[in-house]
Amino acid sequence: MMGPAASSRLAPWLFLSPFLVIFVVFTLYPLARSVVLATHQTFGPEHEQYVGARNFAAMIADPLFWTALRNTFVFALASVFIQLPISLGLALLIERRGTPARPLWRILLFSPALVGVVFAAMIFGIILEKRTGLLNVMLHNLTAGAWNLDFAWTQQYVMSALIVASHWMFVGFNMIYFVAALQNVRRDLAEAAVIDGAGSIDRFRHVTLPAIRPVAGFVVLTSIIGSFQLFELPYLMLNQTAGPDNRGLTIVMYLYQVGFEVGDLGYASAIGWGLAVVLVVCTVVQRLLARREEAAV
Amino acid sequence: MFATRATPDRDGSPISSGVWILIVLALVSSAALAFWPSGRRDSRTMWLFAKPHQDTYTPIIDEWNRLRDPDIETILLGRAALDRRLLSSFLSGTPAADLIEAERQNAARAFTGSLDAVGFVDLTDRIDAEGIRSRINPPSFAPWMSRGRIFGLPHDVHPVMLGYRADVFEAARIDVDSIRTWDDFERVLRPLMDTNGDGEPDRYLLNLWETSTDHIEVLLLQAGGGFFDDAGRVIIDSPINARVLARIVAWCQGPRRIAADAPNFTASGNQLKAEGFVLSSFFPDWMCDVWKHELPQLAGKIKLMPLPAWDEGERRTSVWGGTMLGIPRSAVKSPEDFEELWSFAKHLYLSKDLATDLYRSSGIVTPVVEFWSDPVFDEPDAYFASQPKGRMYIGLAPQVPARTSSPYNTLALSRVQDALVQLSEETRRTRQYDEARLRERASHYLKRAHDMVAAQIERNVFLSSAGGVP
Repeated sequence: MMGPAASSRLAPWLFLSPFLVIFVVFTLYPLARSVVLATHQTFGPEHEQYVGARNFAAMIADPLFWTALRNTFVFALASVFIQLPISLGLALLIERRGTPARPLWRILLFSPALVGVVFAAMIFGIILEKRTGLLNVMLHNLTAGAWNLDFAWTQQYVMSALIVASHWMFVGFNMIYFVAALQNVRRDLAEAAVIDGAGSIDRFRHVTLPAIRPVAGFVVLTSIIGSFQLFELPYLMLNQTAGPDNRGLTIVMYLYQVGFEVGDLGYASAIGWGLAVVLVVCTVVQRLLARREEAAV
Repeated sequence: MFATRATPDRDGSPISSGVWILIVLALVSSAALAFWPSGRRDSRTMWLFAKPHQDTYTPIIDEWNRLRDPDIETILLGRAALDRRLLSSFLSGTPAADLIEAERQNAARAFTGSLDAVGFVDLTDRIDAEGIRSRINPPSFAPWMSRGRIFGLPHDVHPVMLGYRADVFEAARIDVDSIRTWDDFERVLRPLMDTNGDGEPDRYLLNLWETSTDHIEVLLLQAGGGFFDDAGRVIIDSPINARVLARIVAWCQGPRRIAADAPNFTASGNQLKAEGFVLSSFFPDWMCDVWKHELPQLAGKIKLMPLPAWDEGERRTSVWGGTMLGIPRSAVKSPEDFEELWSFAKHLYLSKDLATDLYRSSGIVTPVVEFWSDPVFDEPDAYFASQPKGRMYIGLAPQVPARTSSPYNTLALSRVQDALVQLSEETRRTRQYDEARLRERASHYLKRAHDMVAAQIERNVFLSSAGGVP
């Protein structure tokens, strides 16, 4: 029989075991396997050939990889520098004293996030359609027929269309984080700043911003990671293509194309690790910047 | 403060008897699932992706099942689901059906590796030994062949014609017989574009756009271009391809514009077709049934004609789509397995009943040449103003261009489409529509596409060690 001490030691592992099994089988093993795959050319488990760093060399020389990386960066920058300020602005407006019907505004602005990426992609696909799309028809009517109904938004402005669709979905979502953070800003500090004669911009800079910095850092980080994982929205909005001249091609979409449409799992793994390196670099840079600012404060 | 230590049960164990019961139940059920005998299968399964195909096959399969054991059971899968399961089966050996009806793009994935790694059984020797090769329209084998071997029985031919608004053409007294080339098409029909005499087009002659990859491939194949030669070498930068791309750009913008986009399978596209915004569209045989269902209001107003040729006397058709029936290697454990499945595959695909039913239900013309004399193909079709469309498609079937089965075809098509978009954008900027210049610039962009595809194929060590691309 097992003694009580041994049982006590064993118990946590026993409870953890379902998670551990799933984690090892579906995360740790695929992660390790993808390292091996990235150095192989494969066709099924029985047909593998070691190619060393050829997949990585091909990735660096591949213009589509860089196109995908550039597109993804543009999307990530738009998320951080356009979407998040809008989210913060909306949160500040809603949390301002005297704003009527706050819960209603929160629900209204958050509700696009409940729609789901598939529906958002379909809705924006219909809005931006050539000739019969809502936007073109509206502009055509507003300009008394001067606007060309043939204008193809999802061909001429692919990335802008994706950014607008994603902002529509996620501005309200990120706003909720900021609302929660703003509710934790110490009221006495804000009142003391008012007494000391600080204006609204100074109060924001010296009271609000330092208080919400941890949440803002988290939102920035998750936005960057989410942006680099962008796949469903362009895939569905652009009819399962990367758009004209690959203008909507993102890193994950390229990984999917190479791995599951061309069937080159080795190269897809190399792209996956390329993406991981980019994300690590972004995270480190973001953390360093955040720390420097914290130190300055 | 709260203690985080586990509190022992009455008998000293930190795990209560209830938890032990849960653990035992979990272990027992897992073991039962893992070791439960799967039982002997008493039927063979066939995956397919098209409901009309399933409906057409049902009576033939019912008859087969009445007379023979084991039964054949069809399983309808979404196209994407079939694609994933097939790829998963080829790459990881996950279970697949005993027979698989696959589209060209799905099947081509099987040909990425070495010949001995192709997931379908090589049928070449049996097809030759049983004289099946000579019974089938030769181009229909092409998408299912890799490195000279055949891996599937062809289901169709899919010749392409041009469907046009007969009501509009006839009101304008257009004689379609006078349209033999694309140049004729532009010249003869251009006056139809301006309906109110203001000098601006109110409708367009052709349903085509620079982003419609299917249409681009149809035109490239018709012109004798394409992406790979018979030996599997990349030929994307060929002068024929440059000519086609240059012409597509000229058709979509500038003073020679005759084309507009009315996408297939969309409500907005159908609305534009119904309104007569585009006066003609590419019609593979299977498209006839799509129009009948989606645009019933155009019954009697549409007629078919052979595609205008690129040059006088050249090919008047192309090809779009394709399906095959293959036997996955995983389904064949013994020679008896193969014989059983092969017998059924032949019974289904080489059946005259299927050929006529398939035509009646979906407009698809059989690739089995000996059935082409059946009177069903001469029946007038009311939707197409009583034209005998079956006979018209059969007349073009021998001219259908052969296609590659390369797993890199989709990739090549994407890169060629990129080249077309780049050429198109450059032309929008420069507004230089001279055909010679357009061809020169098309060659430039196609060379880039060519190099990218060649580089991708070059990396495939399985194909290079096997002596070339499929």
